[in-house]
Amino acid sequence: MDITGKIREIAARLLQNGEVDLFMAWEKGDLPFQSKPFFARRVEDVERIIFDEYSIHNLSNALLKFRDRQEKIGLVVKGCDSRGVVRLLEDGQIERERLYIVGVCCPGMKDPLQAMRDYSGFNRNPEAAPLAAKCENCIQPNPVIYDELLGEEQPPRVQGERFARVRELEQLSPDERYRFFEDILSRCIRCYACRQACVACNCRTCIFDETKPQWVGRETSISDNMMYHLVRASHMAGRCIECGECERVCPVNIPLMLINQKLIKDVDNFFGPYEAGMQYVEGAKPPLSVYQENDPDDFI
Amino acid sequence: MHNCNCENPLVPQIVEIVKIIDETPDVKTFHVRNENGVPFDVKPGQLAMVSLLPVGEGMFSVSWQEEKEHLQFAIRRVGLMTDELHSVGVGHKIGVRGPYGNGFPVEACQGKDMLFIAGGIGLAPLRSFIKYCLKHRADYGKIQVLYGARSYADLCFKDELFELWPKEKDTEVFTTLDRPEEGWDGHVGLIPSYLEELNPAPEGKVAVICGPPIMIKFALKSLEKMGYNDEQVITTLEMRMKCGIGKCGRCNIGSEYICLDGPVFNLAQLRKLPPEW
Amino acid sequence: MKVLNKNKLPAVFDKLAQQSELFVPLQKKEQSGFYSWKSFDQASDQLALDLLNVYLPPKQVLLPQTEKMYSFRQEEGGVAISEVYEESQARVIFGIRACDLQAINCLDQAFLTRGFVDEFYKARRDNTTIVASACYKPGANCFCSSMGVDPLEPAGADAIIRDTGTEYFIWEARTPAGEELSRQLAEFLEEKGLPLPQSQAFERQVDMEGVAEKLSQVFSSPLWEELSDACQTCGICTYLCPSCYCFDIQVKNQGEAGYRFRCWDSCMYGEYTMMAGGHNPRASATERFRNRFLHKLEFFNERYGMPLCTGCGRCIIACPAGIDISKIITAAKEAEWSA
Repeated sequence: MDITGKIREIAARLLQNGEVDLFMAWEKGDLPFQSKPFFARRVEDVERIIFDEYSIHNLSNALLKFRDRQEKIGLVVKGCDSRGVVRLLEDGQIERERLYIVGVCCPGMKDPLQAMRDYSGFNRNPEAAPLAAKCENCIQPNPVIYDELLGEEQPPRVQGERFARVRELEQLSPDERYRFFEDILSRCIRCYACRQACVACNCRTCIFDETKPQWVGRETSISDNMMYHLVRASHMAGRCIECGECERVCPVNIPLMLINQKLIKDVDNFFGPYEAGMQYVEGAKPPLSVYQENDPDDFI
Repeated sequence: MHNCNCENPLVPQIVEIVKIIDETPDVKTFHVRNENGVPFDVKPGQLAMVSLLPVGEGMFSVSWQEEKEHLQFAIRRVGLMTDELHSVGVGHKIGVRGPYGNGFPVEACQGKDMLFIAGGIGLAPLRSFIKYCLKHRADYGKIQVLYGARSYADLCFKDELFELWPKEKDTEVFTTLDRPEEGWDGHVGLIPSYLEELNPAPEGKVAVICGPPIMIKFALKSLEKMGYNDEQVITTLEMRMKCGIGKCGRCNIGSEYICLDGPVFNLAQLRKLPPEW
Repeated sequence: MKVLNKNKLPAVFDKLAQQSELFVPLQKKEQSGFYSWKSFDQASDQLALDLLNVYLPPKQVLLPQTEKMYSFRQEEGGVAISEVYEESQARVIFGIRACDLQAINCLDQAFLTRGFVDEFYKARRDNTTIVASACYKPGANCFCSSMGVDPLEPAGADAIIRDTGTEYFIWEARTPAGEELSRQLAEFLEEKGLPLPQSQAFERQVDMEGVAEKLSQVFSSPLWEELSDACQTCGICTYLCPSCYCFDIQVKNQGEAGYRFRCWDSCMYGEYTMMAGGHNPRASATERFRNRFLHKLEFFNERYGMPLCTGCGRCIIACPAGIDISKIITAAKEAEWSA
């Protein structure tokens, strides 16, 4: 049976015998490349569920909507998404007992957003990449936490050096690097979609919404934009699970994962070996959430 | 059209704080004077944006206009701007723009008996209406004020509540505290239940309510039980406001902007709006 | 008829930019929007008049993402306002589509009517001349015609250009301001007869009949929970929407001086209606989602007589969760719910 069929079977079973109140997966839109998150609540909803090469969304982020409620939730996760579940468990945002996790070994996804943009008439040169940008560097296509596992184990997809692009930027002089980031961050329109799409951004009151004091102004000046992205990236250090959703959803195509990958490389280098969200161990915390006397500090 | 005294309704006038009264541990009344600018013309129930220019703005009801240049605001310390405002002294210059909002229907209520129901800081917007009625005493019938707060210390305008208003012609003041307190031998209990105890008759009456949303909701139910119809009941609502002129979008309830079409609504109007307040 | 050779556009723009700030649709590397002609960089930018539309909407010209309102300084005895920034220099928006222009008509209603006039918006708007580009090939996500917009006769345009498919635009002035542009551009305009292009059908249609009425009846329906499931309240829809206009007002301090500014805000964010005391009437994503669509399709209509959605399709393209306003409209119409 194909993956869709298996997922439908599981969802129907879980909803039928009340093991879950809600099952998060995908459904198809009108166009072949449109797959979108869908929450089945009744057994009749199950026939709408699909899983295909456009099922790119990180459904673990949707769990945050339910963190203060009681529903038992089933959800389908791929490799990166499952690391998102670990992120939420480590951050104490949801209880493991409420979840039924269906893991799918991910062959790499295509981006429905990119496909839609190409189809829209707003793009002069449609790009039609075989794989979504975020999937090209995947180091963990197989779920790291699950109650059931579907699909064949997949090899990591990263070709060549994982942090090649980061190293390129590291070679630039400080001035050149500043100009590079000034260029990409000046087009930020501060829509905060990156924050909303991010599973690691789960503070109840986000630092950027605080008023006493206000940490970063809301103008789209280069200084406020840079502060926003650098502060957010710093909050992701050691916590980002590399799902790449932030970069994927950005309406002005800022290569956000560059900044995140730099921090992933640095955290692994200084506090590691460490990759965020690779396994759930109760009580474990990300390296920057725990102070130890022998923490490296020669970079300060 | 509006009665705001400005060329650009988003730009404030600079006024000076001339007096500060400590009403409760977290409420102060600020008296401000605008000597040089265009005088204000505030109807009871209207609002104004008060700003500490380097800090921020907040929308408050004008709790009384003494003279054309002299406004009073009763402001609770609850956020960033009000925190800082509570720490400045007399002589400090702040910004005020307005007035905004529709105000109370003072003409339509002439000849009626008035029942004012307020909780906590909710007395501040009603105070302008109460004082208006007392200023034009002959235009209004019997006046009853039912007011409650968490504790004695949290009662605002104690002078007026206990000394001045009860001495006015045909004016009664009923005060209640949420919980018993040493030294208080007045009524103890929540406003909706005190209201039902007092059972003021609806005939010829207008009921005006203001307070925390939960209190308003229960008080409206009580009034309904007591036979008040929807046109007899008026309330003044609160939502987060930024522009004050019905443009920035955020204070809407349905298609009404609380800063522009409100904050005063009667119950008939309120029932037509989505229950999102 | 008057026609304009596309090859002359850079010269046309240079001429217009002498007397006003000219905004044209540009592809600037990774993003597209309406930018000042002065910012055109031969090396990296491309004119985007031939594209269906650009991602960032032209509302930016009249309601900038960030706009200084007034500056103040601390001085002897207190604080004073130093300057009020009403930017009234002449502007030209060239190449705007009917959907985006209708959105500006909506903004005009919101900012210039009902009690108060927003003087900052008015200063910009009064001195803005608009050249619209008639649209003959609707895109897959376009449904402007369902929202009362005529893509061939953009309402509110001072002048209209029509792409004939050859190297010529047809140029039609519509108002005195448009005639004035014709005079300014006389050296570039030629007389020629050219056939108008054939206009193509819309793939996407939405029946707006009775929608505002129906929406007022389904406020409490459980349908909103399901429709909003996938929504992450990311706010992209509100930022790319040409007619969304909610703004925040904040302050920037620089020592003894500072300024108050306004910036785009989104009704989708959690703290949009959060009050200082902690009470939040729309605390859940579902409530904010519902409020947004009701505002677009019902409340704005009740208040100003037109829907706030003009069928440009940007939200449908850019929503990461695949939320589609045309589907919301249909779902609301078909909902069976009695209050």
